[in-house]
Amino acid sequence: MTSSKDIHAAAYPAIALDPSERLRFMNCHSVTRADTCISCGMCESLCPYGVHRRVEGHAKILPPDDRKCIGPSCSVNYFFCVANCPTKSLSVGPSDNSRSLGDPRWPADVVLATWRMAETGKPMSLDDPANCGLSGGGFDELRFVLPSKKTRYDPEDISVSVDLNRRGTGEKITLPVPFYGGGMSFGSISVHTMLARLKAAKTWGTFICTGEGGYPALLVPFKDNIVLQIATGLFGVREETIQRSRIIEFKYAQGAKPGLGGHLLGDKNTPDVARMREAVPYTSLFSPFPFHSVYSVEDHKKHLDWIESVNPKAILSAKVSTPTDEDMVAVGSYYAGAHIVHLDGGYGGTGAAPEIAKKNIAMPIEYAIPKVHRFLEVEGIRDEITLIASGGIRTAMDVAKAIALGADGVVIGTSELVALGCVRCGNCESGRGCPRGIATTDPELERLNPPDWGAERLDNLYTAWRLQWCELLARLGMEDISELSGRTDLLRYRDRPAKEVGR
Amino acid sequence: MSPEQHPLIRSRSWIPETRLPERPRWVEAEGGCGVVGLASSVPIAGRHIHGPLVQMHNRGNGKGGGIAAVGLSPEQMKVTRKTLDEDYLIQVAYLEPKVRSSLEDECIKPFFKVERKYKVETSTDDALLGRFDVRPPDVWRYFCRVKDEVLDRFIGRAGLEGIPRAKAEDEFVYQNSFKVNHKYYAGKEMQAFVMSHGRNMMVLKIVGYAEDVISYYKLDDVKAHVWIGHQRYPTKGKVWHPGGAHPFVGLDEALVHNGDFANYHSVTEYLAQRNIAPLFLTDTEVAVLLFDLLSRTYEYPLEYIIEALAPTTERDFELLPERKKKVYRAIQATHMHGSPDGPWFFIIGRNSYYERRFQLMGITDTSMLRPQVFALVDGDVQIGLIASEKQAIDSALDSISEEFPAVPKYADKYWNARGGSHNYGGAFIFSLHAEEGSGDMRLISTNKFGTSVAAPYSGWDHADDLALAKPIRKASGKGSYAADIIERKGAAPSFKAFVSSLKSASGDEVNSLFAGMVSYAQKGDSQREEMLRLLTLVLDRRYDTGRIRRSRLVQKATEALDATLRTAFRIEKNERSVFQLIDIKSRRKLRPPESPYDKLVVDCRGFPMEGEDGVSFIIVKARELGWNLAIVFGAHGQRFIGCGMGPRSKGFRMDIYGSPGDYLASGLDGAEMRVHTNGQDQLGQILADGKLVVYGDVGQTFLYGGKGGEAYIMGSAAGRPLINAVGRPKVVINGTCLDYLAESFMAGNPLYGGGFAVVNGVAFDGKGDLEELPEPYPGGNLFSLASGGAIYIRDPRKLVGEDQLNGGRISRLTEADWNLILPYLKENEKLFGISVDKFLLKVDGVKKHPENVYRKIEAVPMITLSGKTQMQDIGE
Repeated sequence: MTSSKDIHAAAYPAIALDPSERLRFMNCHSVTRADTCISCGMCESLCPYGVHRRVEGHAKILPPDDRKCIGPSCSVNYFFCVANCPTKSLSVGPSDNSRSLGDPRWPADVVLATWRMAETGKPMSLDDPANCGLSGGGFDELRFVLPSKKTRYDPEDISVSVDLNRRGTGEKITLPVPFYGGGMSFGSISVHTMLARLKAAKTWGTFICTGEGGYPALLVPFKDNIVLQIATGLFGVREETIQRSRIIEFKYAQGAKPGLGGHLLGDKNTPDVARMREAVPYTSLFSPFPFHSVYSVEDHKKHLDWIESVNPKAILSAKVSTPTDEDMVAVGSYYAGAHIVHLDGGYGGTGAAPEIAKKNIAMPIEYAIPKVHRFLEVEGIRDEITLIASGGIRTAMDVAKAIALGADGVVIGTSELVALGCVRCGNCESGRGCPRGIATTDPELERLNPPDWGAERLDNLYTAWRLQWCELLARLGMEDISELSGRTDLLRYRDRPAKEVGR
Repeated sequence: MSPEQHPLIRSRSWIPETRLPERPRWVEAEGGCGVVGLASSVPIAGRHIHGPLVQMHNRGNGKGGGIAAVGLSPEQMKVTRKTLDEDYLIQVAYLEPKVRSSLEDECIKPFFKVERKYKVETSTDDALLGRFDVRPPDVWRYFCRVKDEVLDRFIGRAGLEGIPRAKAEDEFVYQNSFKVNHKYYAGKEMQAFVMSHGRNMMVLKIVGYAEDVISYYKLDDVKAHVWIGHQRYPTKGKVWHPGGAHPFVGLDEALVHNGDFANYHSVTEYLAQRNIAPLFLTDTEVAVLLFDLLSRTYEYPLEYIIEALAPTTERDFELLPERKKKVYRAIQATHMHGSPDGPWFFIIGRNSYYERRFQLMGITDTSMLRPQVFALVDGDVQIGLIASEKQAIDSALDSISEEFPAVPKYADKYWNARGGSHNYGGAFIFSLHAEEGSGDMRLISTNKFGTSVAAPYSGWDHADDLALAKPIRKASGKGSYAADIIERKGAAPSFKAFVSSLKSASGDEVNSLFAGMVSYAQKGDSQREEMLRLLTLVLDRRYDTGRIRRSRLVQKATEALDATLRTAFRIEKNERSVFQLIDIKSRRKLRPPESPYDKLVVDCRGFPMEGEDGVSFIIVKARELGWNLAIVFGAHGQRFIGCGMGPRSKGFRMDIYGSPGDYLASGLDGAEMRVHTNGQDQLGQILADGKLVVYGDVGQTFLYGGKGGEAYIMGSAAGRPLINAVGRPKVVINGTCLDYLAESFMAGNPLYGGGFAVVNGVAFDGKGDLEELPEPYPGGNLFSLASGGAIYIRDPRKLVGEDQLNGGRISRLTEADWNLILPYLKENEKLFGISVDKFLLKVDGVKKHPENVYRKIEAVPMITLSGKTQMQDIGE
């Protein structure tokens, strides 16, 4: 275990602190100071967070730095500035950001915390409410049972790596972090966004899936970190792209929209995208559901054998959504020769996935993971296949919960976009709808997001996440994240603390 | 319990009241499988179905295999002919042999007059037994009739006075077996179950591969008129039981199934309303119970049974005659909830006792989502075959022809069923009946509507056919007939002489010709090349074969070709020769070619179907080592040939003979591949560049996701060709497609570098003459939701209608269009001899202007497909 850790420890990048002008205002709370302030300095002396500051020699106190404020919940503290102000000049409330951002799945706290981690590389504490959303279901209802005592530990002693290939065939690939990036195609996101993700993935030794439709030549230098997706439209799939990829993902279905193929609406199918996919520009591109050549498990095996005959070294991942018989799909994939079973639950999906499908068709991922995990154990093949979960995994704690439920690792998507500044406005399907230039193929809009800047923000996010996992594992007395896999005994439902999850 | 209920259904009213299985009520997931069936006018030994099952090994996972045999031999079954014909042949599988006496005492002895009972012999081969994870059950065979007094009691109690006594007896057997299965299999412990109970038919199944059933139960020499076999690929459960394997039985029908239902629960509910309860919890059992209900209880004619299972829909329904529509509408209204939905393909073998017929049938779902091939051999020995893959049919025939020389190694006719079709019905039935007088069995093949399906008959002669069937004699061929053809300069004149000689040539003469070709080829490289070309022409072209039948000619030409190539120098000998032979033994001896013109000759015999020891990897490696030419022969189902060469394959040419498997040339990017036979499924998927020529038909999803290149198909494509194709593929299909041609085609504007498909809608008749098909495109879905590309269809009679389109538009062929497709039609003429001027442009013997012969189907901007911006032409 130490050996893999040694290798990977050196690979972790340093935190980059390149402040973002655009995302500077990531305050959750707004602190206002009325004109009645007499600059007595009481607030400065009280606030332990450094919201209020007075520069030596200045008569007036500086405007409050409300990014540091912990909000109205501070009122329980003796140092709560609002209560202590002699002239009652201070007030605190939600910020404009916090009022305008978010939804129950991605509340403003979570968006802002992700921005903060992407900006600073500093982890959230494990009990920060921003580790969870407010959806009332899924990972939001699960909590780790943590020993109250904090232990001292060195993050370098803790391994968060995951083996992707546990079979005898194909290349051995170990990720130093328990995640790789999910499939978002050229067309759905800008080439800058793809580059940012890939640069970060290269630094971290992990992978990014290119989604359907192939990828532009600009990304070829990153081929060692690319997961090639073979989706039902077979767009952009050629023998050469198959041969240069180390991991091939068969997208049978997407958890956000099971039973629907991929779709790229006409506006985003710009001439560049159309050239890549060899289709007609500005027409909507629909991938069928399912593969027309795969209607059963022996077709599935044949399909995998085909790719193996084109690239025998590649490791194969079967991405499936979570129907009720997903356990049998997983076993079928194992016998067909897949190295990875990738379960995609229903909480994910960008704004482009139809609302009616999102969250409404697939089985919730927190039920799907333990079901498959246990079934594979009963079959006696759990140790030979890597179980990857995805679909609405937003935070480091979501990752840890997915692993504790039985996954080996996860695939993330939306959280990376949020780190790049996504405001979750949900206009992903329109050509010029993305205010941050992330989910667009418009050459003008995509300039909003320089790839190097994006890569740094992702580096920072990954750093913060890794430190969170290290702390979690240390507190649980573990040294390797694989020890966490399948430990549902460590999870409790929020309202039913006594009931172990999944039992 | 309404009074209108059918008496048989009413008699089963106790069934729902039994407590059903307490084991987890999940459906055993089926996934896919490999299925095969054959019906023959002569009894066929079990070993002949061994081959196809072995070759479809990769369609199963060893968790279930089974066979059914109908029309057995009295001697082998150790009973008299009368007993075999009249008695129920009950086979009970004892998973726990100790329960036999109690089961017999309880369920057999009190009710049946047992004519004969014995244990089915099993193999003691240790190697075979070692392969089984689960011990195969002991099977006991009981030939019996229901005792008269028992039957009387049953009829009285169940209120079956109104129905014929024989049918009541059937029902008693059925209900008694349900009791056995319920008590001894569906309870807490699985101890025994009834495998089959029909007359003159049996089922044997195990946890293992189907070919092992044949070996274990010593069926190699057991003869039957109808065989069906099944390789199972279940995916759920760690412990499997033979009870879950196929085939399943109703009463005297056995069914195997490839696919799975999406509406298992709905069908189960439908059956429950009719007092039928499945006990083995797989959709296959449900399927056969459904068939049994429709056939034995409702006594529907076969056509209506098929309609209830696979309803005719959409355009096909509209095209039915009014009278039929009325009946079908009623059937659909009554049985829609019991109609299996999703991908499925059934092969059913049955003893139609009351009609005195043995039958084999294949029924495909309306959307044709599973692979299926039908084949027919005519002549003294008639055989109908159905399988998941064509190569399995060829394998069966290869084996049968060893025993019956009258059977050629290739079928006289191969075809695919178009599900729910208004003219064929998506189902075909092979019926065997004893001829009056002689008592010999004859085979009639019909479609759903009862119209007969015959092999193209060219007037061939049985004696000549048998003469040609003899092994090719070595070093003969000295006769003047052979010499005259062989010694002409060049393959083309030889071929011309051969074709004109065939009108009068005898079987012996043609046999000696092939022998002469093989020995002539030994003389040197140029002679071998010349003979290879000649034999290739014999295989590729269609012509009047005179007194010889085409399938036999193909068989012998293939044998001659194999002999010609197998005598080439072996690669490890390093001899100076253009032909370098590599086979399974020397596969690791592959080396670079000595000259760029060297041909690598790959003998597929013995190669596995896929994997790193497979043929496809030899080809990839050969290309890497610098070979430019390859000949792959003797293929018998090998998959992925031509895959994996990547973009460096430009300039590579490969010729393929035999029966290659699925995914041929998928991903081809620059090479040229010529397939001198029919192709199977998934040919040329994502084909990016290069040229693919098929001298025959192709299967499902041909050119799915294709990006470019050229493809020429001599015959027809099955379902879903060119689906989701983009870029610039250029395709000529001389026959037609079953359905869903070019769905979501996105290949730009063909006039500005985009892609297109030409569909000629013609076929060769038995005499080798071209004829127009009755419809250039029979399916109800053409060019659906396409946003680019075009279909050029030869349709001088304007038979293609807007009702077949979903989004496209039929428009006039312009000069530019004709100039675009003409070079491809000329190449097509060169390849297949289908003349543009002499045939394609002629309508009723009169040459017409292209715009009166071809029609263009092109994309129109659709609101569903376009965003706010209008569609634009893409140029290069």
